[in-house]
Amino acid sequence: MLLLLQAAQNAPPDIVSQTWLTWTAGWVSLGFLGLFGVLILYYVLIGKIDLSGLISEPGGDASMSRFQLLIFTFVIAACLFLIVASAKPQPAFPTIIPQGILILLGISSSSYLVSKGIQAGSKQGLGAAAGPQVTVKGSSSNTTPGGATIQFQAAVVGLTDESVTWAIDPPAGAGSIDANGLYTPPPAAGAAAPAKVVVKAISKEDVSVSDTETISLL
Amino acid sequence: MAFTDLIWFARLEVIVFLGGLAAIIAYRLVTGQINTSFLLCTKEKDGRHELSPARVQMFLFTLWTAMSYLMQVVDSIQGATPPEGVVLPDIPLKTLAMLGGSHAIYLGSKAYLMMFKTIAKGE
Repeated sequence: MLLLLQAAQNAPPDIVSQTWLTWTAGWVSLGFLGLFGVLILYYVLIGKIDLSGLISEPGGDASMSRFQLLIFTFVIAACLFLIVASAKPQPAFPTIIPQGILILLGISSSSYLVSKGIQAGSKQGLGAAAGPQVTVKGSSSNTTPGGATIQFQAAVVGLTDESVTWAIDPPAGAGSIDANGLYTPPPAAGAAAPAKVVVKAISKEDVSVSDTETISLL
Repeated sequence: MAFTDLIWFARLEVIVFLGGLAAIIAYRLVTGQINTSFLLCTKEKDGRHELSPARVQMFLFTLWTAMSYLMQVVDSIQGATPPEGVVLPDIPLKTLAMLGGSHAIYLGSKAYLMMFKTIAKGE
């Protein structure tokens, strides 16, 4: 798109007025790119392109490496557009890309790759490739005795049976959790509740595969 | 239609696409439709998530570097003495050094935690 912008502006007006093919090619290219861009935006808006995991790691938590790569990509793209579009006397690409920008993108990308490498060295970071894994996530990380329930979800990868058994620790006086992962805190008027409760999901297919999440009873 | 219309339309397309995509992503990041859970936390052995200073400093450095560069570009465009020719402003070496240090702290912290967890679990 930016190249087209530059090429169109650089074309001599007297020749351009006679070269209908150049003019047509410009509009066809622009129309195609525009439709493609609109289609992408439309698919993103209706959810056909799912962005919910854009900066997530396989385990479900957000990734700082992905976040900073996203930020830098947008900022560099926006800066390049501003520079090209505002060039005088006509739109033009920078003749030289400064070393600093290349180093910045290099740091960002290599940091992301090293981060993936570190994860690959740990079973926790690899998901299915590292073998069976259960990941627990709750709708909240705290509640109060007699307060709101918390819905937990367990994501199972690397196993055929994706069902889990739920348990809490300590097993007595810390509330209860049903078979669907809905945690109910202990009543406010009962015995002293623990400050922390560990919720555990254990795979039914392989009981050695489990994950825990700790919630606070404030 | 003249070529100036083509240029105007090309500008519009880039602005709509880049701006639209950035707006959608920013809105979904803020409203939680894009998962940002525990962005600033690390997961401990017992499943608890704790605030990670390494992640916080990298988050701040990322935003600061991105914003300062964007401002630098805007200044170079609107400045009283625009640079000769079409030039992307360079990033100061000190900024790059600080960003590199920030990444080193983050990756070092991550590597340490991963190793520590693996050893602790006896894997």
